[in-house]
Amino acid sequence: MKRIFRLLLFIVCVVPVSLWAQDDPRLTVSTKKQVVVGERFQIVFEANAEGRNFTAPSFQGFNVLGGPFTSTSSSIQMINGSVTRTTSVSYTYALQAYQEGTYTIGAASLTVHGNKVSSQPVEVKVLPDDGSGSSDSGGYAGGGTQEQHQSTSDPQVSGKDLFLKVIPSKKSAYIGEQVVLTYKLYTKVPVSSLSVEKAPTYAGFWTKDITENTGGSLRQSSEIINGIEYTSAEIQKVVIVPQRSGTLTVDPMTIECIAQVRTESSRRRSNDPFESFFNDPFFNRNYVNVQKDLSTQPFNLEVKNIPVTGKPDSFAGAVGNYTFKSDIDKTQLSTNEAIALTLTVSGTGNIELLQMPEPVFPPDFEVYDPKITTSTNVTAQGLSGTKKAEYLVIPRRAGTFTIPQVEFTYFNPATASYQTLTSESYTLSVEKGKDDPEGGVFTSNQEGIKYLGSDVRHIMTGDAKLRSMNTVFFGSPAYYVALLVLLLLFVIMLFVLKKREEMAKDTAASRNRKADKVARGRLKRAAQYLKAKDQDKFYVEMSQALWGYIADKLGIERSKLSMDTVSETMKEKNVPDELTQQFIDTLNSCEFARFAPGSAEEKMDDLFQRGIDVISKAEKVL
Amino acid sequence: MAFFALTGRAQETADQWFEQANAAYNAASYDTAVMLYEKILASDMESVPVYYNMGNAYYKMREYPMAIWCYEKALKLDPSNDDVQTNLAIANLAIVDKMEPMPEPFYVKGWRNMRAMLSGDHWAWCSIVAFALLLVALFLFLRARRVGLRKLGFFSGLVFLVIFGLSVVFAAQLKRSSETQDQAIVMAPTVTVKSAPKEESIDLFVLHEGAKVAILEGSNGWNKVRIANGSVGWLEADKMRPF
Repeated sequence: MKRIFRLLLFIVCVVPVSLWAQDDPRLTVSTKKQVVVGERFQIVFEANAEGRNFTAPSFQGFNVLGGPFTSTSSSIQMINGSVTRTTSVSYTYALQAYQEGTYTIGAASLTVHGNKVSSQPVEVKVLPDDGSGSSDSGGYAGGGTQEQHQSTSDPQVSGKDLFLKVIPSKKSAYIGEQVVLTYKLYTKVPVSSLSVEKAPTYAGFWTKDITENTGGSLRQSSEIINGIEYTSAEIQKVVIVPQRSGTLTVDPMTIECIAQVRTESSRRRSNDPFESFFNDPFFNRNYVNVQKDLSTQPFNLEVKNIPVTGKPDSFAGAVGNYTFKSDIDKTQLSTNEAIALTLTVSGTGNIELLQMPEPVFPPDFEVYDPKITTSTNVTAQGLSGTKKAEYLVIPRRAGTFTIPQVEFTYFNPATASYQTLTSESYTLSVEKGKDDPEGGVFTSNQEGIKYLGSDVRHIMTGDAKLRSMNTVFFGSPAYYVALLVLLLLFVIMLFVLKKREEMAKDTAASRNRKADKVARGRLKRAAQYLKAKDQDKFYVEMSQALWGYIADKLGIERSKLSMDTVSETMKEKNVPDELTQQFIDTLNSCEFARFAPGSAEEKMDDLFQRGIDVISKAEKVL
Repeated sequence: MAFFALTGRAQETADQWFEQANAAYNAASYDTAVMLYEKILASDMESVPVYYNMGNAYYKMREYPMAIWCYEKALKLDPSNDDVQTNLAIANLAIVDKMEPMPEPFYVKGWRNMRAMLSGDHWAWCSIVAFALLLVALFLFLRARRVGLRKLGFFSGLVFLVIFGLSVVFAAQLKRSSETQDQAIVMAPTVTVKSAPKEESIDLFVLHEGAKVAILEGSNGWNKVRIANGSVGWLEADKMRPF
């Protein structure tokens, strides 16, 4: 892109004489306030609308060298559909002061839309000539009548008269630190126009053009370099932010400018009046336009890495000098209500590049992407401004939540240290909103459990359960001992049981053996009672003899003794049914006779005989 | 008596170290914790919590191979511990090599899963209990008057016999695995598994730290190893830590 600057001829001190009122037609006048005798200068009447019948004032005390040069410019602007049309008409006169003193240039007038508008009168002070070359610095706007031509003698503009310089705000910087480059044109000769031939490339830099827009003209000032006074003009002002370390080179900028040089050769000529007429300064034949390309020196910037030591985790590349604050619109709310959390970083530095710190919201919050707005303005130190991140979050569940504080770390190149700023932490109490389903209405808005992270499970605390290494219970003596003890218990149990059984068997056998003897004893006593005819005692003895015998013989316990058990046991022992029946019958008759007294003697005899008979029979079988 | 007093005191100090180590872990000074856990192990004491906590400390220090080694060690003592299994799985996610285990027949898997239900000591106790029950059943079978009880004794005796046999086998296997260091974790960042126990032999495959290998045999500072997918090769013994 080729940017074209138009450098108005040196107007060191241009003062707008009247202020503009919006939209009203008006006529303004601008000129130098002080001139030197013999100096050429111009006076410009400017109207903001086209008009007729321009009447110039009488320039009393000045030579009118030329004019009026009329130029018209108009522009149409469309902003959001509204059209603004700006027209400007200027009438320029070239004047020369020839006598010392203070002169007033009267009002000029112009008829616009039938109304006559006038300019303010202006006072010009003419100073005595001090002999300096300042009279040469008067000049003209590129008047349409002037003819440009290249001098045959090819005059040169030396590098001392006209040069371009780049002025960095610092020679070395950290990564991310901003450096302001000012491209300045220094000149001692009038320059009519200039254009950028080759814009510098900024490899390894982020750049932003911060050239102040002064409406076509350039800001000028006078500077003294090595004792020589130059007029300087800022061509361009750029903020560069290095993105990597090392020595970064900014390529030169090249501009092409057209300088107006007075040709010495044509100055003093013959006295030919014709010639002298054209030598009249107004015609300016002794000024030629010389094209000259100017370049800056390539410029190296030492870029240092940001120190690694002491770098906080929250550092995300911000370099400069900032303030940080946060703001929340409410902390008491109900569910499904939106909260706005605003984080603001403001200060000087690469504000457009910096990354906003991100707050951590509770997991149940619905978080929308933040709206990030950046506003920057240009200061002498470079860019500064404000970056805002506006978070819109909606809590979906009731409860008390905390938005933890947010850390913002920047590197301050001035102190070469990290600064960490923290925002407030907010505690939000969220109440259940009205439109939340209360108990009874269960909508299916259940959610799966959200896993926020994973980690190893925590250590085991409490009992260490320590034991010596390589002590395995299995195969150890204790193990075998345990098994052996169990086995031993088992064997002992079996043995003891067996022994007890044998003992029980032994008692049964002895009872069996003695049964006959006992029975006989009883029968003997029964026989005595039979002789004595003692009926009761006889039956008792008889009954005991029979029951006792069969109980001992069959090994039946006395408590379980009955007719049924006797017959059952006898059947088990394979006693012939006949004998069993006989025995039971005998027992029956004995019992019957015992409880039915008054029976005959022969009955007692018979029973006695049957008793002996059945016992002896049983003795044979059992 | 003097022996018991000595071991008792050693146990006490080891318990103190354990508590101090846990406190250090909670205070996030993991290297101190590891040092104290190592001290316990150096005093010839061990337990699942010690290995497990030490593994956690190594994990937090991002020394994943050592963490895996500790977890494996804890699993050897108690193959059924859920915490250890979980953390081992997490630690295994942090290492380079992802090894697909060779598909195993269902009965091998079933056998292993069954064996992993209890620790070795628990299997030993299980065998003792099963033995006791077996004797009770045998007693019933031999001595019961009623036929039903005798039948019950017979069949339950058979079941207890099987349980006794299995737990003895499991306990024996776990005892052998705890006494032999037949597995190892690769500790060197990158190792090349060779085709023979020689430096100049052919490179077979590359393993990274944290990989688990089974040691099949060893000779002259080289171990024949098998990785989970069944590949076999030779690796220098000093690049791995057996367990």
